[in-house]
Amino acid sequence: MEAITANLSSAFAIEQGMWEWLALIAASIGTYACRALGAMLSGRVSQESEFFRWLSAVTYAMVAALTIRLIFLPVGMLSTVPLYLRLIICAIAVGVMLINPSRRLVPALLIGTLLMVAVGIVQAF
Amino acid sequence: MSTPSTNPNDVLKRRTEDPSDRIATGMDCPESHQSLHQGEIESSLDQAKTARFSTTTDAFWGGVRDGRGAPAMVLFAGMVGFGAMGRTNGFDVWFTTATSFLMFALPGQIVMLEMILLGASSLTIALATSLTATRFVTMTATLFPMLHVRDRNKALYAKVHLLAMTAWAVSLKEFATMEPKHRLSYFCGLGLLCWLISIPGTAVGFLIAGSVPMPVTLGLIFINPLFFLLTFTEIKVSGYRLAILLGSIAGPICYLMDRDTSLLTAGVVGGTLAYWIDRKWIRRYDQVKRGGV
Repeated sequence: MEAITANLSSAFAIEQGMWEWLALIAASIGTYACRALGAMLSGRVSQESEFFRWLSAVTYAMVAALTIRLIFLPVGMLSTVPLYLRLIICAIAVGVMLINPSRRLVPALLIGTLLMVAVGIVQAF
Repeated sequence: MSTPSTNPNDVLKRRTEDPSDRIATGMDCPESHQSLHQGEIESSLDQAKTARFSTTTDAFWGGVRDGRGAPAMVLFAGMVGFGAMGRTNGFDVWFTTATSFLMFALPGQIVMLEMILLGASSLTIALATSLTATRFVTMTATLFPMLHVRDRNKALYAKVHLLAMTAWAVSLKEFATMEPKHRLSYFCGLGLLCWLISIPGTAVGFLIAGSVPMPVTLGLIFINPLFFLLTFTEIKVSGYRLAILLGSIAGPICYLMDRDTSLLTAGVVGGTLAYWIDRKWIRRYDQVKRGGV
């Protein structure tokens, strides 16, 4: 109980300074600009165009690089879980996804998350 | 996610299934509308005259109802995971929640958190997050031609912020079952719900991350990496599969060379290489196989 009170009292502290907020505002404007650009171009541009194919490939590559980073070289709490355990959990979750013919995401996501919780419980002892 | 059919009859048939069954995934849009040609969009405009909603208010609440299923649940879980990530990485609740409110795009939000942690400059961060958001260009460009002509005005630029993966995928599937004049209201109901649950979702994730036992927090911060990984298994276009593979290889290499800009360079290098290989060899090979030119 004390831990919860301590956590909540520290939860509203301000940690971020000017330049982080600046980065957030710039990132938000960039994100909104993409949505607005789509609205502007709607009906006038083909999604089959080479430029869009290139943009999609870059997006996929960047999110893949991010995912690999988060799994292989995590910063913070996930790094306390050994790499082989992280990989086994990922393999099991992907396996659950691939076995199911309708490719349902929820069971795979749930199983993977619960396995990570289980690893945390085992590590605590 | 399976490729959304734009044939209204197919969609109508499929409505007998649980509509919330299919999950909108984070990044599957570019391949999904490869099969979506302009002509099909036009035809669905003409054909779908089914009166599913009587008024625009009715359509709005219809959108809210459709948003309550599994797609929004997964989005909510992702936002809770994002909040927990913010907490365990030393961000404050205001910044973390504002990120969901202002950006409302999970991959971009996590790219931004990571890059701030690595000490990248604001300009690099803005550039990288905007690049992850380019998927919205194709998403809006495919969805909005399906709206009624009257609704395609300046006010749309205020509503476009509600567009994210979940609302896009559900709308694309459901639009064919309703009259064009009700589509914007339906989209607003659905999108508004998704956006509004993201904010408490992030805050809840942030606040519980330090209060619940450590194993639960561990599970929460693992949701998003796992979610991205799982969505990769649904991508069927070989060029994009290659982009994922090359991005995965380029990621760690770029990280070792220069941490600050590693995500940006990995994306541009891996993606461009994949695009080039795809254009040079894979597509040509596919054409030969099909006996085309």
